[in-house]
Amino acid sequence: MDTFQHMITRQRKWMFYLLALLVLGWGLTPYKSVFLGLLLGSALSFYNLWLMQRKIRKLGEASGESKSVKGLGTFSRLASGALAVVIALQFEDHFHLIAVVLGLMTVYFVIMIDYLVYKG
Amino acid sequence: MGLVAAAIAVGLAAVGAGIGNGLIVGRTVEGIARQPELRGTLQTTMFIGVALVEAIPIIGVVIAFIVMGQ
Repeated sequence: MDTFQHMITRQRKWMFYLLALLVLGWGLTPYKSVFLGLLLGSALSFYNLWLMQRKIRKLGEASGESKSVKGLGTFSRLASGALAVVIALQFEDHFHLIAVVLGLMTVYFVIMIDYLVYKG
Repeated sequence: MGLVAAAIAVGLAAVGAGIGNGLIVGRTVEGIARQPELRGTLQTTMFIGVALVEAIPIIGVVIAFIVMGQ
């Protein structure tokens, strides 16, 4: 496996650990709406991560074989961010809005920390 | 007024993401075409670049929808 495949596997593993921790927080602490918001944001953030990894892998394969790809999925990722906010605004008593926004940003923390730890 | 603000926010976010992603993808494809054996490294760098470029536009869209929802 090359460096990119290793990175993909690590990032997915860390996101699964984080989602498991958030489920535990939702189940065991009294801050239900905060953890539910974080869970919603992180789940859609994980979808963003998966989509980004998939599209970039396809682009790399296609450019190696001089084929073409249809877009990078940027608008799908923007739309999933919008979907998280729409759900949070629709069910305001279940989801904490700031927690949803923070949850959407978790994947970038995971990517940056993974890069800083494994850059050597 | 909120609708106009949301439209401007989403539009400028999309412009920023488009220009940034275009630059990154263009250079990466050029690099892979020159040295196909470095594909893994270039893909990793591109992945981190695309992630960083898209973080702010997503926040822009989120803020636009919050403004529109209130």
